[in-house]
Amino acid sequence: MKKLLRENAIIFSDPEKCLGCHSCELSCAVAHGGGDLHAAAVQGQTLRPRNRVVAAGGVTMPVQCRQCEDAPCAFACPTGSILQEEGRVAIREKNCVGCKVCVMVCPFGAISVKAEADPPTDGRTNRGVARKCDLCAHTGREVPACIEACPTKALSLVDLEEFRQSLLEARVAELAQSHRYLIQRKVKP
Amino acid sequence: MTMNYSIDPSAATLLPLAKKEGIATVWDRHKAMQPQCGFGQLGVCCRICWKGPCRIDPFGDGPQRGICGADADTIVARNVIRMIASGTAAHSEHGRHVALAMLGVAEGKLPDYTIRDEEKLRAVAAKLGLDTTGKDLHDIAGEVALVTLGDFQNQDHDKPCRWIASTLTEKRLERLAGLHALPHNIDAMVTQILARTHVGCDADATNLIVGGIKGALADFDGMCLATELSDILFGTPQPTVTAANLGVLKEDAVNIAVHGHNPLLSEVVCDVAVLMEEEARRAGAGGGINIVGVCCTGNEVMVRHGIPLAANYLSQELALITGAVDAMVVDVQCIMPSVSEIGACFHTEIITTMDDNKIPGATHVPFREPTAAENARQIVTLAIDAFRRRNPQRVVIPDAKQTAVVGFGAEAIVGALGALNADDPLKPLIDSIANGNIRGIALFAGCNNTQTTQDSSFVTMAKKLARNNVLLLATGCGAGAFAKHGLMTQEATLEYAGDSLKAVLTAVGTEAGLGGPLPLVLHMGSCVDNSRAVAVAVAVANRLGVDLDQLPLVASAPEAMSEKAVAIGTWSVALGIPTHVGTMPQITGSPAVTKLLTETAKELLGGYFMVELDPDKAADRLLAVIDERRRGLGI
Repeated sequence: MKKLLRENAIIFSDPEKCLGCHSCELSCAVAHGGGDLHAAAVQGQTLRPRNRVVAAGGVTMPVQCRQCEDAPCAFACPTGSILQEEGRVAIREKNCVGCKVCVMVCPFGAISVKAEADPPTDGRTNRGVARKCDLCAHTGREVPACIEACPTKALSLVDLEEFRQSLLEARVAELAQSHRYLIQRKVKP
Repeated sequence: MTMNYSIDPSAATLLPLAKKEGIATVWDRHKAMQPQCGFGQLGVCCRICWKGPCRIDPFGDGPQRGICGADADTIVARNVIRMIASGTAAHSEHGRHVALAMLGVAEGKLPDYTIRDEEKLRAVAAKLGLDTTGKDLHDIAGEVALVTLGDFQNQDHDKPCRWIASTLTEKRLERLAGLHALPHNIDAMVTQILARTHVGCDADATNLIVGGIKGALADFDGMCLATELSDILFGTPQPTVTAANLGVLKEDAVNIAVHGHNPLLSEVVCDVAVLMEEEARRAGAGGGINIVGVCCTGNEVMVRHGIPLAANYLSQELALITGAVDAMVVDVQCIMPSVSEIGACFHTEIITTMDDNKIPGATHVPFREPTAAENARQIVTLAIDAFRRRNPQRVVIPDAKQTAVVGFGAEAIVGALGALNADDPLKPLIDSIANGNIRGIALFAGCNNTQTTQDSSFVTMAKKLARNNVLLLATGCGAGAFAKHGLMTQEATLEYAGDSLKAVLTAVGTEAGLGGPLPLVLHMGSCVDNSRAVAVAVAVANRLGVDLDQLPLVASAPEAMSEKAVAIGTWSVALGIPTHVGTMPQITGSPAVTKLLTETAKELLGGYFMVELDPDKAADRLLAVIDERRRGLGI
């Protein structure tokens, strides 16, 4: 049977609820560092978050990869390191040369090109590879770390099928409500 | 995310009940608070001025300095020493309160108080270097009170506080003076910490921490004087048999829980309750009035009068969920503001007594020393009235109650040892340490913390250390934990102590007339009474001609939580005692501060912090430290 093609899930940030506390960045960095917060801090590890809290236009919210269905980064990547994989846009970090073309074409600025830690350059390479939100795949988590860490529940993992269903239901309920109102007022639609 | 509750059997009975009734407890609130802010956990969040809050990125990619330019080391050091200042302030206000009361007694202004331990008053006066020949008791008390209050007033920076100067070993005093860490005035130390941590002031992490150590030593000074003067006014603890855990509440009595830290009011409540028994019976309470303790007010009345202890810090709410507490009388420190909300779910009167410690929803009875008995009478009357409103159907008293032999202050310990050797009471202890029958001494102190399953770290560590022949002392909520779990009994000694420790405890206990061994853990009092353990240690050190950092003595706060615990832990380190902390301190965002407190302190002071969250491993580390100290002494 043909596999049902689902849209990529996304992390949704609610700017109304975001307080700009950067907890999502911290937890993202720790989740991808593989250790715990205190150990990472004590050992002086350099860890990098894959999301970024941005304040602009009077609101604050974290920005991360939208997992585009027709991802410009995947098309632009000269080494073919970026591809659709298991409901998300994945980067094959071992194939990445750090050329930053993906950074230039990403409409959201969600990709950074840096080494995960701070290893010394060996003269040939800075070891920088493209990194972005991977929805915490391969970290052994059920829920992405940023969502767990958000104290105001401003972040959620959105399954687009469910999201659309709720959206449709809300619209229908709205329509039904106004229809009832119009009937009450004896107004013909 | 795992949820830690409690190993206390009364929690197993009462938490399901709370859930059924929809009453939120400290554990529910802990859960709702998850996850907690990582910047706060690392201590790299600065809210000291209104340009902030500022946060330092602990991983080096984001901002490394706050808006003013303070880096992680500065921010962490400022934050931690502000906690020390607050802890110091808390203990020292308690001390000042007791000292002023003693002055009032000396001046004949407080008819409801007396000098209950004349011998101790004379001993303290002698220790402080006062000439008491030919003076009457009240004059001596007045002088002691004034000299004590001098520790809050002295403006000569080169003259250390009288109490600390008369309490420590000579070598320790020299060492601390060499680091400019000897406090001259308790209030000044608290003020100085707040001043130097103001925006734009001290930014040097090492200098800040030394300032914090000085503040913590002022905390030690405040604790010494609070403890000793309380003994003079209310009696010095002597071994007594009592009980602990919520099973001490009585269905047929007016149950009054005294909670907080300060004995000034609770002592009078105990006195007045005896006189009002008949009134309680007329209200239908066949069992009269039953006073129980919570937290350190509980410890204070427990070690002095054998009043049973109902709960330690984390189970204070459970006491109310029994539906059997008619009044919870609170003074200062460690009182969860939630008690008034939970009290309102029942008939329970929550009564605040101090004008600077009120809780919304509680009944406030302003307590004044000159009218102490009258205030206490008001409080007991409120409790009896509440008893009339009690719904017997909602009373669930858990069947959890353990015997506890408590009241081992320094005098009691020396007294018990004196039964073996009256001329040189410390000799049996020193001999036992020297020949290895007692491998070392561990003082357990500090709080409960929702980050640890309540009481479990205390119990795990104590059992392991006792099996390895370490003599155990305890204060505060640690002592509460041991009492509740039956480790302050002779049976516990027989069951858990290693063979040689068991032999020593049996010899001392039998000789002291207890008809068996001393309890496995010796209850030294409330958290302000940690100075009692130092008094014993200093006596041993002086007797051996060594300093405190050479003794096989360790301290542990496996479930620490409060700012007072930060202050206590810091002075413990400053006195040369390796100090274990079982809660991750909010300092790891600064490698410099972390190194200073866990490594450099060892060279500077002899004492240092050890952080270990696993109680089993923590016990191993303490044993290793004890052995290292033993090797140092050549024993």
